[in-house]
Amino acid sequence: MTDSAGLPPNPASPNAASRKPALRIAAFRNAAWLMAPSLLCLLLYWRGFTSWFRADDFAWLGVGLYIRNFHDFLAAMFSPQAQGTIRPWSERAFFMAGFSLFGLNALPFRIVVFATQFANLALVATIGTRLTGLPAAGFWAAVFWVLNSSQILPLGWVCVYNQVMCGFFLLLALHFLMKAVAAPSLRSARRYEMLQWFTFLLGFGASELNLVYPAIAASYTFLRGGTGARQSFRRTLPMFAVSLVYVAMHNAVAPRPPGYYAMHFTGAMFRTLARYWTWSVGPTFLETPILVPKWVLPAGVVVVSLALAAFLVAKLRGGTDHRGGTDHRPSWSVSPLFCLCWYLAAIAPVLPLRDHMTEYYVYLPVIGICWLGGWAMAEAWSRSTPGSTSGGVRARAVATAVAALYAFLVVPEAVASTAWNHRVAARVRNLVEGVAQAHEVHPTKSILLDGVDTDLFWNGILDRPFRLIGLDHVYLTPGSERRIAAHPELGDVSSYVLPPDVVGNALERDEVVVYDVRGPRLRNITSVYTAMPRETRLPARVDVASPLTSYLLGPEWYPSDEDHRWMPKRATLRMAGPSAAGQKLYLAGQCPEEQLHGGPLPVTVTVEGGTLAPAAIRENVFELAFALPAGLVGKPEIHVVVEVGRVFRPAEDPRDLGVVVGVIEVR
Amino acid sequence: MKNLVLGVTLAVTLVVAQMGCKNKKVKVQATEEEAPRMASSVSMGDPKAETQLINGFHGVEAGAWRWTAKQFTMVLRSPTGSAERGAKLQLRLTVPQVAIEKLKTVSLSATANGSALAPESYTQAGEYVYTREIPAGALTGESVKIDFLLDKAMPPSGADLRELGIIVLNASLESK
Repeated sequence: MTDSAGLPPNPASPNAASRKPALRIAAFRNAAWLMAPSLLCLLLYWRGFTSWFRADDFAWLGVGLYIRNFHDFLAAMFSPQAQGTIRPWSERAFFMAGFSLFGLNALPFRIVVFATQFANLALVATIGTRLTGLPAAGFWAAVFWVLNSSQILPLGWVCVYNQVMCGFFLLLALHFLMKAVAAPSLRSARRYEMLQWFTFLLGFGASELNLVYPAIAASYTFLRGGTGARQSFRRTLPMFAVSLVYVAMHNAVAPRPPGYYAMHFTGAMFRTLARYWTWSVGPTFLETPILVPKWVLPAGVVVVSLALAAFLVAKLRGGTDHRGGTDHRPSWSVSPLFCLCWYLAAIAPVLPLRDHMTEYYVYLPVIGICWLGGWAMAEAWSRSTPGSTSGGVRARAVATAVAALYAFLVVPEAVASTAWNHRVAARVRNLVEGVAQAHEVHPTKSILLDGVDTDLFWNGILDRPFRLIGLDHVYLTPGSERRIAAHPELGDVSSYVLPPDVVGNALERDEVVVYDVRGPRLRNITSVYTAMPRETRLPARVDVASPLTSYLLGPEWYPSDEDHRWMPKRATLRMAGPSAAGQKLYLAGQCPEEQLHGGPLPVTVTVEGGTLAPAAIRENVFELAFALPAGLVGKPEIHVVVEVGRVFRPAEDPRDLGVVVGVIEVR
Repeated sequence: MKNLVLGVTLAVTLVVAQMGCKNKKVKVQATEEEAPRMASSVSMGDPKAETQLINGFHGVEAGAWRWTAKQFTMVLRSPTGSAERGAKLQLRLTVPQVAIEKLKTVSLSATANGSALAPESYTQAGEYVYTREIPAGALTGESVKIDFLLDKAMPPSGADLRELGIIVLNASLESK
């Protein structure tokens, strides 16, 4: 017993003669109907399910590494990070708990991501059913959402879990709201409203996008019509106040950074919306791995858009507003305009980000479009929906053709990009696990990696995954920067590269092993690398924390403490002079709070006997710049003396400590 | 339905708890630790030789050859006795038809540890061997760095974003 769309009917009216078996069959069918989109999701994104970590994942996995006390824990959980975001549940707690329990085993993280997505799909299906009164509409909405290529990163890259979790809170809150407006009693309605509020408030811990929920709730109650609609609408308004307070507080503690993430409230928002629309009904970036003429993708997007628009207009003109009394759908169903409201509300917060368009930003908004598409598909295939726009065979053929076109547009890109993501993550895994093995074989030596390319660097080196396994001294061979495409907005490749002179000295002292990372397994090439000719010029950049640079430092320095090195009141070093006039000497490091209690800490730098203009450290993390005299240009070696104004001696350390020095560089 | 949900939850909990018990932060993956020697002869298709290609070589094609850029550099082991007698450098290369069509002629020169090697010009497409004598004085170290330079190369284009010079198959140093 199925409806005309080939789906089991909603088991709401059991046969009295065989109540129990019928109920069991109906329950089984209902479960199968809810699980089918999840199975499709697993089928389509199984490479995402089996992917390892990459890029930003490592930054989040390390968020709990330096927690020593409760204050550190609170800072790790709630202090703004990564473009000022505060997502305690979906990023901080998720990664901290996951890493402390499972280390770098990605599977438990994936289970959580996919379980949340399965819940999201069930919610999309049930909400879609309630919005339209058609079970098949919910089913198709969930299927269309699964097919959409905006799912690639939320399901393939662990650090985008915030989107999946945010979707869960938004959908669950809406689910409770729908239950509340359809509740048979006031008491029941209030209970569901409470649940909705609870879910809404929790959602702020997943992503700041949660702030759009009041707009979604208000548009649902406003467009639903029927008895009590006005009251329901009024009861959503206090949630706007919560979102406004959240925005004010968020902006106060975490102002949006300028540049890449700057917000532009200009006409560019409409252009951004237009591009996001093409990524919503077509493939992300409007690209496909299939060789097709250039006009195919834009034309496909236009056809799908027109089909959706035609359905929307037909529904709006077709007397489906149940306030007019011609619609026999259940009281919780709503105008199709709600689908557009969801889309616009969910995408609105990212529209001002003109210079930072990201493929997964349509992941949540597109749910609204999927409900509309699912509705059109279900109506086309339903035999007798009151107020329906179906025109029999022709409507079915058109709906099926448009759905097939949509699948043709989005699925190849989803499959290809998921495969790419899986490949890159597998290379990163080989690298990190290979370095872990290299460290076990050579526990006292630093590790130098040769052959790192663009993909491997930005996904497997930049966020320093090796510190997660206690390795601070992993570097790239000199010249590696030539193989890696630069992205200054993401990071500086050269800060990971060891200077040739430092490498030569480390090889002579047998303090370093060199591995070739080009193949599937790391290959020890130390002997080959040692035989290669290299420059012997002193470096212009000295990573003071590294034990490999000790030969450049004077005897005053304290030994390296793995990822940092303390200086006493005065310390000296050798390095290359400036290569061009106008270059400065930069001193970067960290100054403990104790040193700043007495005010700014004066720093004096002397180069080749000449004292440079003095500077002072005013903050914990510092970088001071000292102008260099023109007479030093071209000098292969300069002698630098750094002196701080005072030292302190902590209770647990007998040493007189100045500051922690990270890097001293001429540039 | 409730039993099913309960069962799945229990199973997932057990699996996750079991994974959590193995609280090692990362698995290790075997590395190749045998010490390879630097080679005096390098085939472009040999992935282990890639460390000796310093720059200017594009990816391996057909498992046998590589396009170069206008400048390309490699390091070869100095053969036994070459510090006294000198050595012969041989570079097996192909000048492709497309390069001749676009550039008309291509001239290849080189330096070995700073010692200049005479250029050779190619006016027709085909396979060649660039052979030059390297003086003993340039071969005193364990290895020799050889910088090759073409006078012209095909610039990056819409069809291929790489700068393309010639095709190299193999390079070798033999003691005289």
